[in-house]
Amino acid sequence: MDRRTFLKITGLGSAAVAAGCTSNPEKNLFTLVHAPDDMVSGQATWYASTCRECPAGCGVLAKNREGRVIKLEGNSLNPINRGKLCVRGQAALQGLYNPDRLTTCLRKTDNGLEPISFPDAEKLVRQHLERSAARGPDGIAMVTEVSGDTLLDLFRSVLSQYGSGKLRIYEPFAFESLKYAHQQVYGKACLPGFRLDRSDLLIGFGADFLETWLSPVEYARQFKTMHAVDRGKKGFFAHVSPYQSLTGLNADQWLACRPGSELSVALLLLNQMIQSGKARRLSAGFKSGIEALTSAYTFESVSVETGIAAGDLERLVQRVRSASRPLLLGSGSACQGTMDAALDLAVVILNTLDDPTLSLIDFDQRHRVEIADSRLAMETFWGRCMDSPPGLLMLHNVNPLYSASPQSKVAGALGAKETFVVAFSCYMDETAAAADLIIPIQHPLESWDVYESKQATKAIVQPVMGKFTPVAAIGDFFLKLMPEGQRPSGDYRKYMIRQLVDQGLIGTEDDWTKMMQDGGRFVADRQVSKPVLKLDRKLAAELTRRVQAVAAPDPETLNIYLAPSLRHLDGRGANRPWLSEIPDPVSLVSWQTLAWVHPDVMAANHWVDGDRVDIKTDHGEIQLPVVAYGGLDAKAIVIPMGQGHARFGRYARGRGANPVKLAGAETEPRSGAPVCRVAVRSISGAGKRQILASVSGSLDQHHRKIALTASLKSISEPEEAGNGLAMNDFPFTLPLPQGYDHHRDIYPAHEHDTYRWGMVVDLDRCIGCSACVAACYAENNVGIAGEKQIAKGREMAWIRIERYHDQDDPAKSIFLPMMCQHCDNAPCESVCPVYAPHHSKEGLNNQIYNRCIGTRFCAQNCPYKVRRFNWYDWKWPEPLQMQLNPNVTVRSKGVMEKCSFCVQRIKAAHDEAKNEKRSIRDGEVIPACVQTCPTNALYFGNLMDPDSAVRKLMNGPRAYQVMGYLNTKPAVIYLKKVVQTL
Amino acid sequence: MTALTYEKIDDAVINTLSPPGKGYWVTIGLLFLGILMGAGCWLYQILLGIGVAGQNNPVHWGTYLINFVFWVGIAHSGTLISAILHLFRAGWRNPIARAAETMTVFAVCTAGLYPFIHLGRVWMVFYMLPFPNQRFLWPNFQSPLMFDVVAISTYLTVSSLFWYTGMLPDLAIIRDRAQGVRRRIFSVLAMGWTGEFEQWRHYARGYLFFAALATPLVISVHSVVSWDFALGVVPGWHTTIFAPYFVAGAIHSGLAMVVTLMIPLRKIFNLQEIITMKVLEQVAKTIVFTGLIVGFAYSTEVFIAWYSHNSVEMETFRWRAFGDYALEYWIMVVCNTVFPLFFLFKKVRTRILWLMVICILVNVGMWYERFVIIIGSVAHDFLPYAWGLYRPTLVEFGIMIGSFCLFFFLFLLFVKHMPSVSMTEMKETVHAGGAHDH
Repeated sequence: MDRRTFLKITGLGSAAVAAGCTSNPEKNLFTLVHAPDDMVSGQATWYASTCRECPAGCGVLAKNREGRVIKLEGNSLNPINRGKLCVRGQAALQGLYNPDRLTTCLRKTDNGLEPISFPDAEKLVRQHLERSAARGPDGIAMVTEVSGDTLLDLFRSVLSQYGSGKLRIYEPFAFESLKYAHQQVYGKACLPGFRLDRSDLLIGFGADFLETWLSPVEYARQFKTMHAVDRGKKGFFAHVSPYQSLTGLNADQWLACRPGSELSVALLLLNQMIQSGKARRLSAGFKSGIEALTSAYTFESVSVETGIAAGDLERLVQRVRSASRPLLLGSGSACQGTMDAALDLAVVILNTLDDPTLSLIDFDQRHRVEIADSRLAMETFWGRCMDSPPGLLMLHNVNPLYSASPQSKVAGALGAKETFVVAFSCYMDETAAAADLIIPIQHPLESWDVYESKQATKAIVQPVMGKFTPVAAIGDFFLKLMPEGQRPSGDYRKYMIRQLVDQGLIGTEDDWTKMMQDGGRFVADRQVSKPVLKLDRKLAAELTRRVQAVAAPDPETLNIYLAPSLRHLDGRGANRPWLSEIPDPVSLVSWQTLAWVHPDVMAANHWVDGDRVDIKTDHGEIQLPVVAYGGLDAKAIVIPMGQGHARFGRYARGRGANPVKLAGAETEPRSGAPVCRVAVRSISGAGKRQILASVSGSLDQHHRKIALTASLKSISEPEEAGNGLAMNDFPFTLPLPQGYDHHRDIYPAHEHDTYRWGMVVDLDRCIGCSACVAACYAENNVGIAGEKQIAKGREMAWIRIERYHDQDDPAKSIFLPMMCQHCDNAPCESVCPVYAPHHSKEGLNNQIYNRCIGTRFCAQNCPYKVRRFNWYDWKWPEPLQMQLNPNVTVRSKGVMEKCSFCVQRIKAAHDEAKNEKRSIRDGEVIPACVQTCPTNALYFGNLMDPDSAVRKLMNGPRAYQVMGYLNTKPAVIYLKKVVQTL
Repeated sequence: MTALTYEKIDDAVINTLSPPGKGYWVTIGLLFLGILMGAGCWLYQILLGIGVAGQNNPVHWGTYLINFVFWVGIAHSGTLISAILHLFRAGWRNPIARAAETMTVFAVCTAGLYPFIHLGRVWMVFYMLPFPNQRFLWPNFQSPLMFDVVAISTYLTVSSLFWYTGMLPDLAIIRDRAQGVRRRIFSVLAMGWTGEFEQWRHYARGYLFFAALATPLVISVHSVVSWDFALGVVPGWHTTIFAPYFVAGAIHSGLAMVVTLMIPLRKIFNLQEIITMKVLEQVAKTIVFTGLIVGFAYSTEVFIAWYSHNSVEMETFRWRAFGDYALEYWIMVVCNTVFPLFFLFKKVRTRILWLMVICILVNVGMWYERFVIIIGSVAHDFLPYAWGLYRPTLVEFGIMIGSFCLFFFLFLLFVKHMPSVSMTEMKETVHAGGAHDH
């Protein structure tokens, strides 16, 4: 054998051996081994797109690594969310990578569901289209979710090609009463934007604008713009409601009223405003009408009816009078019944009186959700489908079988024998399961579209990764349904671009590229004509009629409030495991649906947390565990919506309970909103107790200096810093050499190398929305422990939102983001026998997973209890594992983990700085939690740099360290929450 | 009581080595099955993860460390009896010294397993060894767990050597009477003991030096174990009383275990003449003493918590007594400090039944003491949000039962195959009629 042959054979042999050694596909960190020429391995490509998890339509930037999208971050160019995302937006990835996504068309036969091919499905739909077209204009019907105009127009044109009529747009929370009120006052049933940021006083009557109301990320940001303390000033927010939602918990003052009595407070305010100078220019008819209606509402009578102290009501009125730009927000996303129409109308009139130029209402930036049909319209439609069934009913991404009352006619409509129901959906949800043909479609993160998040916005939805399922985009499917000849050439993307060109939005290729790169075309501050206000006798009469239509609240009835969920919204988020794993920030329980019950009611019934109760209303009954919650009127019970699915994949099916089963199908008569407040017929213990998947031990701080508050006055007069060793006189000890003092410290200070990373958490800005938690799960490959494990106390979150009662006023809550404090004097570091927790040169408390042997001593010794142990190997069912961040180790069983301050991002910044031969700039390293925080409550930076933002922030009088008296010298500095009273 | 003679002692002890009956082998077999079951549980835990046990956040340490401390504690009185009382010339310890010493060695072995069972990644345990490596990774000698490794291994080494040294003359006696294979085995074990004067001289010196060496270990080992806790910041752990408190507790539990083992031993082997009631009574008296120390420690802890004015400490001790684990706390207090006081009455401490019952209760109480300390502190420490409870799982019970089986398995094998009473030391006391106080 000559040398060349030998080399050939050895080469071939080793290649064959290497090729034979295949590993499991999910273990491959790098997916694109044959990469496109412009791809740099290890460097992310970012795609701008639009979040479609709710109708708000925030802009996202999707991080694509080696062909897989691994993280969503807000698009800072998008004026709605300005670079931030909420918890649901972060979890959109788990919708994309959901292990229960449908990938084949399924046809219902007598033998169950039968897979069929896409061409067959298309043929079937076309057949039914043609057949049903013959039945006249009602032969074909279609219901879609709130979508962009391009797609809706395509649907409409397909329908009209087959002679069909109207396209229905279904959205469980369609803000009907708000639209109705706007119709009355502004003459248009629209949903204009509110400028919370420009107001100095907010009064909410239930509007849960930090959770689900219209556009939560946007309003959370605006809220903190007016509400965070700034140069000694702070806006005021009062919340009038029978229960404290997350939004209510963020109010400076919660005015707890009896169920159904919010309206009286609004009418009292109206009465007071009319009598004040603000009503001077009003028409006499309007004025007298309102006066006649509201004169009965005095402080005393309203106080008796609502249970709010008369003094508080007086102060509230005083606040409104003295505020320069007060803004009132009406009812919440979930309608409470007849009262809401009256309440919203009264609130809109109040806003108009306070602000006649409507400077706080933005008619240019109208919310997209306004195109949704009212529930009444939907019910009428379902009723018609039952009475004269269409031949074909197409459903696009809607799940009315889950989100509408069991008495709704939707079940009958979908069940009609004559109707062939086609569901276009990503998942097998309740509605899809009832369909005759299920056609899986692409997730919005895989498809092209244009979405008008706001009237003035054209946001681009674009695929953020290559196709990894065989399914088609709904747009492409509908293009194919267009009859031959009328069918536009090319795919939906081409069609969409053509539309944009036709609309004059783009002219050249470059325009399109720019629009695509920016994530859309955003227009702000356009001058639009404001509506002519119709403050006349008719309006007063309308309000009077509405108020008269409201039945006086029965003070004896228990009321169930179906609350839209911060995490699951109406239920569409329930199959994203992060959203169930992350606890509800109010009840602090994950995975389970609970009835929040007033502690007095619990005590009277001898219930304890976790006792299961049977709740019956006139419409249905459910069984679920109760939990005591102080933020309620004693006659109110709150049940968050979103769980209790009968289908919808492994993470949703059979978990929790669906309170919608308690609601009736009748709608609020004037606005057509579904009624989400139901009178309880009976509630009784079921004699069973469930272990709650609760993550909290105690909401009481036990005077341990954990979540601190200050008054506006006190922050201008800094208190004397102590210099002792006890809890109350222990000084602020920076994790820097100046934080060391030989009276307190045996060991010398660490010598850090240029950087000492630290974080500032502004409790005055944290609203508890948990977006940071979801971002952390996504960025750091944090395991999903599941309900059972969390019930055992084994949640894995690296950052968590703790809720504590204010020491001085237990009715107030403080949200405290808690993550590894990266102490300079870390108790975890000294007790590990193998140096697995290790203090880095830059002050990070590094956890070396490879070195960890799992003694768990570090976690025992951590006073902040932020260390997380891998009790098992956590599972990422395929294809969820595709979301894993390749820059972060996936931890195996038996090792400890915890927040790393996103060390991978610090490393990336180091590399960049080194390449450019400079040091890391302030603000260059942004951990995932900091990145997504909608209210900018978190800041990250170098504590050794005296000019860094974190150093400047911590110089103020609000800075403190959680349990700093333990002399751990945490590098997470908290800023006290500033509390005010009415 | 007829006077003991050298021959009687030899006969009585060597009789215990006669071929055992069926009952013995059945017991051994059952115990072995128990060990297999425990091992199976451990294997299951290794394969699936620590999650199969009940630990959680905030209670990261559960029964594994409770049992570790429990068995280390048991191990203490063996050396106390054989070494410290030897130095004090307390003659009554002679009849039980060997059995107590044996209990020590096997209890340390059992205890030594628990840190391994506890580890999340036991297969990486060699990281704790200071072996040279490319990356200059070294164990952290600042960690109390490293102290533990050193302390426990030293203790195991010294107590085994002490135990074996003390046995040499006895092994020679057995060798002299044995035949066949047994003779050959015991010849090896006796290491050529001939009973020459020089050998006796070295033996007596060596035994004394070992006793002197082992004495500080009695104090140090459990002090070190206590530092696993006292060097943490956790309220309820971070206190200077822990070292003496743990040592007293260890001896308390060890003595109770000695009585628990001796009573059946003397009954089964008819050693009533050697292990006399007087011996047991002396142990019972010592238990009163250690019980009082332990009771003093409990009250000091509570007092200091109040005296410190530290609200975290105060809440910890309030919660221990009245919180979720109040039952466990009061089991601990009553079993460890109240029941031993009954030994103040001669009638109680001279009745075998009462001795046995109270000593078992003390063992139970001492187990709960470790439960209260280990679980009851971290479950309710600094951060109220993180408070939580812990409940052991079946896997943990399986391993715990397995460890008890292992201990009794080894102990039973020993008493039937080795001299469980030191003939040599018994003979030293014959002039005074057996066990006596000077």
